[in-house]
Amino acid sequence: MSAPAASLRRILAIAHKEVLHVVRDPRSLYLALGMPVVLLILFGFGVSFDMDHLPLAVLDEDGSDASRSFAAHVFASGELERVEVEGLDAAHSTLAFERREAIGVLIIPRGFADDLSRGRALSVQLLLDGVDPNTAVQALGKAETLVRSAGLSVLRERTGASNPIVLPIETRVRTWFNPQARSALFIVPGLAAYILALVSVLLTSLTLAREMEQGSMQQLFATPVARPEIVMGKLLPYLGLGAVAVLLVLTAGAWIFDVPFRGDWVALSVASLIFLIGMLGQGLLVSIVARTQMVATQLATMTSMLPSLLLSGFLFPIENMPLPLRVLSNIVPARYYIHALRGILLRGNGFPEIGGDLSALTIFAVVVLALGTARFPRTLA
Amino acid sequence: MSERDHVIEVSHLERTFGAFRAVDDVSFHVERGEIFGYLGANGAGKSTTIRMLSGLLAPSGGKAIVAGFDVGKEPDEVKASIGYMSQKFSLYTDLTVSQNFDFFGGIYGLPRKEVKRRIAELSESLDLKPLLGEITGSLGGGLRQRVALASALLHQPEIVFLDEPTAGVDPVSRRSFWALIRGLASAGTTVFVTTHYMDEAEYCARIGMMVAGRLVALDTPAALKKTWVPGRMLAVAAEGEPDKTKAAAALRQTEAQMKALPGVISVEAFGAGLHVRFHDGEVSEAQLRQAAETSEIAVDLRPVEATLEHVFLAAADAGSEARIRKDQGFGESATSNSSNEATP
Repeated sequence: MSAPAASLRRILAIAHKEVLHVVRDPRSLYLALGMPVVLLILFGFGVSFDMDHLPLAVLDEDGSDASRSFAAHVFASGELERVEVEGLDAAHSTLAFERREAIGVLIIPRGFADDLSRGRALSVQLLLDGVDPNTAVQALGKAETLVRSAGLSVLRERTGASNPIVLPIETRVRTWFNPQARSALFIVPGLAAYILALVSVLLTSLTLAREMEQGSMQQLFATPVARPEIVMGKLLPYLGLGAVAVLLVLTAGAWIFDVPFRGDWVALSVASLIFLIGMLGQGLLVSIVARTQMVATQLATMTSMLPSLLLSGFLFPIENMPLPLRVLSNIVPARYYIHALRGILLRGNGFPEIGGDLSALTIFAVVVLALGTARFPRTLA
Repeated sequence: MSERDHVIEVSHLERTFGAFRAVDDVSFHVERGEIFGYLGANGAGKSTTIRMLSGLLAPSGGKAIVAGFDVGKEPDEVKASIGYMSQKFSLYTDLTVSQNFDFFGGIYGLPRKEVKRRIAELSESLDLKPLLGEITGSLGGGLRQRVALASALLHQPEIVFLDEPTAGVDPVSRRSFWALIRGLASAGTTVFVTTHYMDEAEYCARIGMMVAGRLVALDTPAALKKTWVPGRMLAVAAEGEPDKTKAAAALRQTEAQMKALPGVISVEAFGAGLHVRFHDGEVSEAQLRQAAETSEIAVDLRPVEATLEHVFLAAADAGSEARIRKDQGFGESATSNSSNEATP
């Protein structure tokens, strides 16, 4: 009996047993395959930065044909929705916010029609509810654009189409890769990384912690099985499960949210594999620190969910973070995976463009696995 | 017996945890095919010893050779040549019995064919055939222990370490489990077993007794009884007295009478009666009977054999006394000066 053959048999024995556990108790299967899809659907539909129908109230102090026409133009596109707030007047302009009926109030001042007919500069006022800054900023952006074009429209109506208005400079924007600026295209890659991080760290740490808790790890230590063999045997099945989860999330993303696939399949597979190995290694580390399933669950969730949600660029741009968080985000593998994934899916990238991400992911995987194997207990009290 | 037949050879083995000396200068050997019992109270160092001998824990000092390998230097070789079954049931309860066997066979690096052959063999000899397809968690305690034993034997180890294998198992299952252990030993496997059950200890060829980290006694059960429980023993019972209070009073009186006699070593409560131990030459049975008859009611005296329980208690007392003397710095040789730290 040669040593490598025996070693392979030991690894396979552990991997096979792990598969049996999963088959016997399909909860981890639901966790690995069901949860990603559910989360994808919840997040995909629920978390949207596309804000249509933002409710906006109008306080028309002018009450002229011109002001009514102007307001009609503002709401014509449907991006903002006009709401009527009862009792809204100049003295009670924040009433709309207090009652949460509108996030903004557009005030058309007295003399609007007059200014228009005399060719004076027009001005209107926009009040915003700043409680939710994200929404306020979006509303501001939309309202500004809409007010400007509505202003031009009423001006044209007054002066006649024959009298063109020339703006000093105009920006003509064309957005590439995601022309409709759909949030789903931005979210799905991030979500894939987030889900995979959470699920794979959780699954690995649970399976190891369970053995430590139940005493079977002690039994394993009494056999000639080496620690790297335990680690390999434990990680193999979950790597397979994780790979299926990746496929599932990306397929669901393409199918439900029309996320395109423009790049290199092989690059995607390699990136996913290395990312998964790193996450499984992190699960290994978590279980070594935690030792019990209860602690492992909490620690796994905390160390995988929070960083890949907050520090990965999934939801919040890393460039906007304060320096300490920006530095911290460098050790969050989800950051590199999301970057690579967005590149591959949306920009059509391949190996040359994601090389940096792959190196970072590889370094993380090697470090956690080496650390995990080295810190893996030889014996349990 | 030649040295070659000592499958376990332990000399001056030591293990400390911080200031605590869990195993303190322990030396002994175990012969091939022997059932060696290792007794001691909780925390006496039994499990620490067994974990060192099975390569799970490195010794802090001394040396132990198990199956020809040094436990400190070649723990993996030791692990490959021994079977280990711990007090905690450590099979996978969600898998079937045969899946557990497959797993442990693979863990010991056995080829599939060999695993199959051994499963067939063991399920025959341990009577496990009808259980192979069962979920391990659904089995009762006795059967589980048998399955655990079988999985520790798959790779045909020279030695099996059984750490309290029958803890929490009913008496009938314990008996049949010990029948298996005796069968193993007669087939040449060395069995190193720890237990809390003194009736089980009687099955062992030799017994080591640990008290507070030290091996205080080591011999056959019969010799241990002779050394540690000297003298003869009589059981004293109040016969035919329906009034329990009266009987108890009479026995108390008897106890006092007997204790006053020279040559009486001890008088202890046992069941509803007393056990009196005495030196045969110094006091006669007739004198004891006389002492018993001074009480108002009829008292019956019968000779009884000392049990390992008596040995255990005597050894534990002696061991802890020796320990206290040593810790206080009284006497003993210079070799133990290094071990003067107090135990928690």
